[in-house]
Amino acid sequence: MDTLAFLLQGFAVALTPTNLVVAAIGGLIGTVVGMLPGLGPINGVAILMPLAYALKLPPETALILLAAVYMGCEYGGRISSILLNVPGDAGAIMTALDGHPMARQGQAGVALSISAWSSFVGSVIAIAGIVAFAPLLARWALAFGPAEYFALMCFAFACITGLMGTAPLKAALAALLGLALSTVGLDSNSGVYRFTGDDVHLSDGIQFIVVVIGVFSVSEVLLMLEQHHGTGGLVRLTGRSLFNVRELLHTAPSTLRSSVVGFVVGVLPGAGATIASAMTYAMEKRIAGADGRFGEGDIRGVAAPEAANNASAAGSFVPMLTLGVPGSGTTAVMMGALALYNITPGPALFSQNADLVWGLIASLFIGNLMLLAINIPMVGAFTSLLRVPNWLLVPGILAVSAVGVFSVHATTFDLLLMVVLGLVAYLLRKQGVPMAPLILGFVLGDLMEQNLRRALSISNGELGVLVSSPITRALWFAALVMLVLPPLLRWRGRRRQRARSAPA
Amino acid sequence: MKPSSSDRVLGAACALLGLAMAWAARDYAAPISYEPVGPRAFPQLLGLLLAACGGWMLLRPGLQHFELAPELRGPVLLLGVAVLGYAALFEWLGFPLATAAMGLLVGLAFGGRWWRALAGGLGLGLVLYLLFDKLLDVVLPTGLLSFALGGR
Repeated sequence: MDTLAFLLQGFAVALTPTNLVVAAIGGLIGTVVGMLPGLGPINGVAILMPLAYALKLPPETALILLAAVYMGCEYGGRISSILLNVPGDAGAIMTALDGHPMARQGQAGVALSISAWSSFVGSVIAIAGIVAFAPLLARWALAFGPAEYFALMCFAFACITGLMGTAPLKAALAALLGLALSTVGLDSNSGVYRFTGDDVHLSDGIQFIVVVIGVFSVSEVLLMLEQHHGTGGLVRLTGRSLFNVRELLHTAPSTLRSSVVGFVVGVLPGAGATIASAMTYAMEKRIAGADGRFGEGDIRGVAAPEAANNASAAGSFVPMLTLGVPGSGTTAVMMGALALYNITPGPALFSQNADLVWGLIASLFIGNLMLLAINIPMVGAFTSLLRVPNWLLVPGILAVSAVGVFSVHATTFDLLLMVVLGLVAYLLRKQGVPMAPLILGFVLGDLMEQNLRRALSISNGELGVLVSSPITRALWFAALVMLVLPPLLRWRGRRRQRARSAPA
Repeated sequence: MKPSSSDRVLGAACALLGLAMAWAARDYAAPISYEPVGPRAFPQLLGLLLAACGGWMLLRPGLQHFELAPELRGPVLLLGVAVLGYAALFEWLGFPLATAAMGLLVGLAFGGRWWRALAGGLGLGLVLYLLFDKLLDVVLPTGLLSFALGGR
């Protein structure tokens, strides 16, 4: 069992004092960021990524920090969902549907503790899934050639545009803009400078940090102007602060089912926590049928989406670690962070950087234990942070973001580029253009072009190489299904709804 | 609802950007070519796809309109200017002063009283400077305060 040996090796990495402290700090920061309405995991990871680099943390420690922030956000989002009826992040939207009614019925403590518990169960099941499947997938992916990679990336884009909901065209535009941004700078194959306008600052391309901070910090802050959340609606913590055995057993089947579904959805590139929690909520509602009180404070409606969003967050590490193609916007940011350390995630990572991979997996587990430990007793302390006013919070976010960007190259140019990208991203987001495909495009752009060119070099320019192997054909077919199926289902759903609303 | 004119603007902007990209890439060529696909193909492919998607959106816009409540126009403008100014003056003013000024303007945009926002900005500038520069060894510019704090 070499997996077990690797896992033990991973725990040896994760249990070093530095990494333990970093995981705890990351979990705390993540919980706070996830809890604050408007800021989600992608913002938290984006803002902390340059700092981890500036603090000269070694790569495995930096990745552990970012992963802990990511998991922490999935825990934190539920707090404001339940107490404020304002989801702390997108994955926690479903939690508010039953969590807030529970809180108003005096069961805030039960809702918070059962959701922390189901978050934990979801994460642990997903981590077990990573341990079981990731090495297999990595071994299989070692056989991938450039053509397979190119097809795989196209599949990832198909997923993220097809599953992005109502505006696939806008998701496609975002992905193309991200890809376009990635072509700026020196083309390493030929030595040609592209789209630099002869500006020396752009000669080695646009810094990943600049794009990420611009898109997820500057534009986010502008969008925060529009939400008027007061703490007026904050429900006070009353009643029991811990669930009892009956509630535990009552929710157990929902939690387990949702964890498995969440993990599977998380592994799919592009489909993230938001989709996972919405799917499992609908699923549990259907299974409960007539004896469910979903929407009025059913405890299963709190447990299921929380288990699912944590499981999918952990699951989204699988495609990033094994294939080098991120499964969510947040893991796309992490992949960019690894690129700062000249580490390219992919199948070779499991053999070449075993410490990093297994250390990360082990620390995901330890981080979740810590999060469970801090999230049940310390909820009161976190909620007081919801009272920090925006006029102090937002300048803090901007200052920390600027420090992160400035620490990389120490130029005013990067700061200005960050702001300009942020303002453009604000306009795009106001117009309904999603940003996750843009980041995915920016991260994958270079790899995509390299693999395309390599594949065509092998075949001497013959395009047929892109569809020659069974794997490429399967991937192209899957990509097509992803693009065609969701609009078709939506169209059918609309037609059925119309048929129902107009009875003959 | 009528089709969104702001979707049309978005589509047109993307289409123009895509065409400009494809045009700007027209003479990117490797001095010595040893592979069938040079540095020109991928950007041109992207540019044309972008133009196609943008054109599609221009002709078949969705229903999402660009909306900004009138009372938010002032704050959005103030925030945008504050962030631009922060970036431009970050090095020259130095981190503590630039952050104080940004804190004041951004605080005002978020509805804080001016003295609280100013105090918040000054506090942030000083605390974060000490935290990052002195404690965590992330070098920050001191700008106008370099006579007192050292650095540049």
